[in-house]
Amino acid sequence: MKPSWMLRLCAAVGFAILLLPGVLVLIVSFSAGEFLTFPPPGLSFRWYAALLSNAQLMTALGTSAILAAIVATVSLLLGAPAAYAIARLEFRGRGVLAAMLAAPLLLPTLVLGLGLLLVLQPLGLAATWPGLVLGHCLVAIPFAVRIMTTAFAAVPKELEAAAWTLGATPFRAAVRITLPNAAPGAIAAAVLTFLVSFDETVISLFLVGPRLSTLPVEMFRYAERTADPLIAALAMTLIAFALLMVVLVERLIGFTRAIGRD
Amino acid sequence: MKAATSMPAHPHLRLDRLKRHYAGAPAPAVASISLDLPRGALLALLGPSGCGKTTTLRMIAGLEIPDDGKILVGGRDVSRLPPHKRQMGVVFQSYALFPHMTAAGNAAFGLEMQGVARADRARRAQAALEMVGLGALAERKPRQLSGGQQQRVALARALAIEPQLLLLDEPLSALDAKLREGVRDEIRALQQRLGTTTVFVTHDQTEALAMADLVAVMNGGRIEQLAAPEEIFERPATRFVATFVGRAARLSGQLEPGGVLRCGGQALRSTATLPPGPAEAYLRPHRVRLLEAGAAPPPGHDNLLEARLTRRIYTGETIALETETAAGPVTAELQAGQDGPWRDLPTGAPLRLAFRAADLAVFPAP
Repeated sequence: MKPSWMLRLCAAVGFAILLLPGVLVLIVSFSAGEFLTFPPPGLSFRWYAALLSNAQLMTALGTSAILAAIVATVSLLLGAPAAYAIARLEFRGRGVLAAMLAAPLLLPTLVLGLGLLLVLQPLGLAATWPGLVLGHCLVAIPFAVRIMTTAFAAVPKELEAAAWTLGATPFRAAVRITLPNAAPGAIAAAVLTFLVSFDETVISLFLVGPRLSTLPVEMFRYAERTADPLIAALAMTLIAFALLMVVLVERLIGFTRAIGRD
Repeated sequence: MKAATSMPAHPHLRLDRLKRHYAGAPAPAVASISLDLPRGALLALLGPSGCGKTTTLRMIAGLEIPDDGKILVGGRDVSRLPPHKRQMGVVFQSYALFPHMTAAGNAAFGLEMQGVARADRARRAQAALEMVGLGALAERKPRQLSGGQQQRVALARALAIEPQLLLLDEPLSALDAKLREGVRDEIRALQQRLGTTTVFVTHDQTEALAMADLVAVMNGGRIEQLAAPEEIFERPATRFVATFVGRAARLSGQLEPGGVLRCGGQALRSTATLPPGPAEAYLRPHRVRLLEAGAAPPPGHDNLLEARLTRRIYTGETIALETETAAGPVTAELQAGQDGPWRDLPTGAPLRLAFRAADLAVFPAP
């Protein structure tokens, strides 16, 4: 069915409302002025240059990138076996396990962050790498499990049965046959969990310290103190990065397929 | 169940009262299956969908655990072994080729699992592909192959491990009709050349009769008849076999002592040794001899029915003449080129049908 002009109009208005702030930020990020004003007094790259020379933000960027890479790896290593169990094996409490693994998504991150702080502080893990990894994994693993469950379920069971009859143990069949055929899902899960960690703000706010801080937290603090277009330049950089990742996944495997929707 | 004749003392495959009842199902998928298969033979499990033939095959492969009964291969009980310890070559209905591997990779996978050295398994995988005529396409991925070629890769992969048994689950059903006959004959030739004991699941009677040394006709989780193809077709052991395999006219009546079937006022001779009572006789169309009205029956044809032509069905290779007799509708079948005298017969024309006593397969009425 061809969409009516009414539907097209509604969609256009919807997209405009969603994308307009981004366009404003994009324009402001190229401002030549001192303040976050619209329209900018002139255009320049000065705030992009200033961003590169801001040591505090660059350190936080490095921390966030490394943290996100670790979180993506851990989420995949822990999430894939759990997803395989949910997708393939029949055992008591499978539904409960699936629900438990999705639960962190339903809790407000504020509650999660506070809870984590209360648990990690006495253990001496607040404001440490392990603490941050743990906190981020808590929200990243559900995404990894969700995507990998769909990916494993999409691989025909018959392939594994064929591998068994050819002498593969169940473990080898899973690793050699099912896993490679779920690779698009694994790539998508890695990218998504990376972005979840990279963008995570609220939990981080509870778990960072003076010497270990992530980019979103530093951005938040910077924006509280200062109102210059540097923050817009940073925001644009991050949006561009996220878009690049999505395009990459789309090119490799198709994003909608990767997150398991048709 | 009618037992097959002259089985050796040590069959290669023995199924002993095999049973499988899926949880929640009203009836067992496999109620009780026992059979012996000599080394090198090809057994076809033939039956309608839901008769338990695929479940039986999956139990032999180890993909389904029997609730009861035993599976012996070469005298060894494998009933409780997981599939990866059974060394059975399985060709799945969907082929189940590994999409991320080449044809050669697929064919070598089983050897790799057996721990065969890389160079050796590459050579043996290539040999297996050449055996099915795909040596030149070894580096193709499954998606780059046609359905028929994928089927051959699946066969090569199953044979590469030099299996104890070759198990084929409806391997021809995904191929188009033209290809099917060729592949069918190739599989049979290859199986005979290698001498691999094979179990083949099919719902297609032509496939079963053309390929198998032994056919097990299955229904409702049981074997109705286990015998050579000719035996199954010419001497069906049960009503189910008579109706499922081939076509037959059904004549209902009363069986009298001496094998005489009273049927619509006619007395038909049969070789039945059943106790007298209500009975049904099945008559295959190719057994019916057509005669002109008033002509004398040829020698040996004890039964004679007056008939009227109701319909003529021309299919090219065979011509079926459907007639109405006092005993009920009966179809006679002629081979192409032999229907000359009957070609221009108008509907309603009188005819005579002759057949032997042995041509009637008689069973008690249900």
